[in-house]
Amino acid sequence: MTNESDTQAAPPEDPVTLRALELLRQEHPDAVVDALTTGRHPFIEVTADGLHEACVLLRDHDELLYDCCHLVSGVDRPDQEQIEVVYHLVSYSTHPGDAYRKRAEKNDPYVALKVRVPRDKPEVPTISDVWTGADWHERETYDLVGVIFTGREELRRILLPEDWPGHPLRKDWEFPVGYHGVPIVPPEAQ
Amino acid sequence: MSSSDPQAPQGEPVEIHEGQPLVGRDLRTEELVFNMGPQHPATHGVLRVVIKSDGEVVRGLEPHVGNLHRSSEKIGEEIPYYQWLPYVDRWDYLAAMNNEHVACMAMEQLGGIEVPERAEYIRIIVAEVQRILSHLMAIGVYGLDLGAFTPFLHQFRERERGLDLLNHLSGARLLYHYIRIGGVKRDVSKEWIDELEVFLDAVEKRLPDYNTLLLHNHIFQERTCGIGIIDREVGVRWGVTGPALRAAGVDWDTRRDAPYSIYDRFEFDVPIGPSPVAGVSGDCFARHWLRVREVEESLKIVRQALVQMPEGPVMARVPKTFKPPVGEVYVRGENPRGELATYMVSEGKDRAYRIRCRGPSFSNIAVITEVSEGVMIADLVALIGSLDIVLGEVDR
Repeated sequence: MTNESDTQAAPPEDPVTLRALELLRQEHPDAVVDALTTGRHPFIEVTADGLHEACVLLRDHDELLYDCCHLVSGVDRPDQEQIEVVYHLVSYSTHPGDAYRKRAEKNDPYVALKVRVPRDKPEVPTISDVWTGADWHERETYDLVGVIFTGREELRRILLPEDWPGHPLRKDWEFPVGYHGVPIVPPEAQ
Repeated sequence: MSSSDPQAPQGEPVEIHEGQPLVGRDLRTEELVFNMGPQHPATHGVLRVVIKSDGEVVRGLEPHVGNLHRSSEKIGEEIPYYQWLPYVDRWDYLAAMNNEHVACMAMEQLGGIEVPERAEYIRIIVAEVQRILSHLMAIGVYGLDLGAFTPFLHQFRERERGLDLLNHLSGARLLYHYIRIGGVKRDVSKEWIDELEVFLDAVEKRLPDYNTLLLHNHIFQERTCGIGIIDREVGVRWGVTGPALRAAGVDWDTRRDAPYSIYDRFEFDVPIGPSPVAGVSGDCFARHWLRVREVEESLKIVRQALVQMPEGPVMARVPKTFKPPVGEVYVRGENPRGELATYMVSEGKDRAYRIRCRGPSFSNIAVITEVSEGVMIADLVALIGSLDIVLGEVDR
């Protein structure tokens, strides 16, 4: 990740991500693949197999207490033959205030987890049993990006109709010619 | 069941004794699954709820969303950043200014654009005016949900004044496209500020009237106190944010605790539930009371911003083709309904590689699957109304 502020001086480390990374490496060394602790969007990349235990640690460890899964997103990367699944976790347990306010560089106290899965077999274990709120976000990510979340009771579409063809936020998704007899005109033909 | 039906129960008429329960002795009961919406007035839009009920009591419930899905995330990948901005208004159409604010912050952080001071103040002012309008709407419509028509008409008088205000500034009543990448579209005039002050005074003067009609109304309290409790643990676990979470006693407001824009320059209180008036933590009444309090706090913020606002330009120098460098941002902002967040991925093109929006209403409505267990159907209407969802944001 490059941007103007990064190239000028040594970019500040993000203490929240750094501490989470340290504890994750200590408890589940196999789970962590990669991490970026500087810049505007620091993140920790974990393996698909290690995701669940990493999430449990982030939720339950006394220093972390990430008790809310804010957002689950899927990013299709056809050039790398991968799909990134990004989890943004926030905490309401630790009292806000000074510890967070000191993070002037990035004002949002969140931790981002990334999982990269192959595009032809995009299977990620569910975390809806860790944070119930991730349930609908996982359904939406399945619906629009086509990530399969395993180990959960049901994985149904949420926004699109049940019989909608494909997952529209895949980069190679093509507009269907019609839906139940209603012709669909792709934007470039309008 | 017609009289010719061979399955019809026959025999002696049932003798009813005083004090003896009728149900469970001779009458057969079963759970009934029925459908509420998507055109139901109490669901605040095109929300469809499938309810499994036992008499008047909800035993299970599943919300079906997506009727208003307009694929704004997909559109964002197809068109330049500039052109995508009007679509942002349509997420939460009652809080378009707040949506624009968060979306513009995300793009500015991606592109490394500094917003002029005066523009930041104007953004705060319009965002807080929008919050007042949105909360007024929520307060009035909540009365309507519970059968009180009068407060709805009263709040519309002030709301119209506020909509005129934003109309005079941006040229639109609801979907403004006023906050742009790098600043705001046009500067505010002296006359507009006078008009704004009249509006603020009117809201402040009328707010006790609304409270007389609803907050201190005994019937209203009976309908809302102790109903639809979303406690702290359930709320946080489901990702409920905004007034619904603060009503449960969570002391968190993104404006104060993770200050974005220039919110750290203002003094304001963050009210948290339970309400001192009546009710318990996290019930429908606490959520309603919290919105009333937040209107008061927003008035404070706007007044401080008017005093502090410096002169100067309202637009940064932004290149004609806005191409932010490769990178990602995650930006959170406090909308009237909760935390709006945008995850934006740039690949150095003039359009985003991926835009993901976290609509607060999406998570706020998901929680009713759990908390509606065991409530009466009439109270379910009170519960959905008190969450103040906007379906445009649930479905995006």
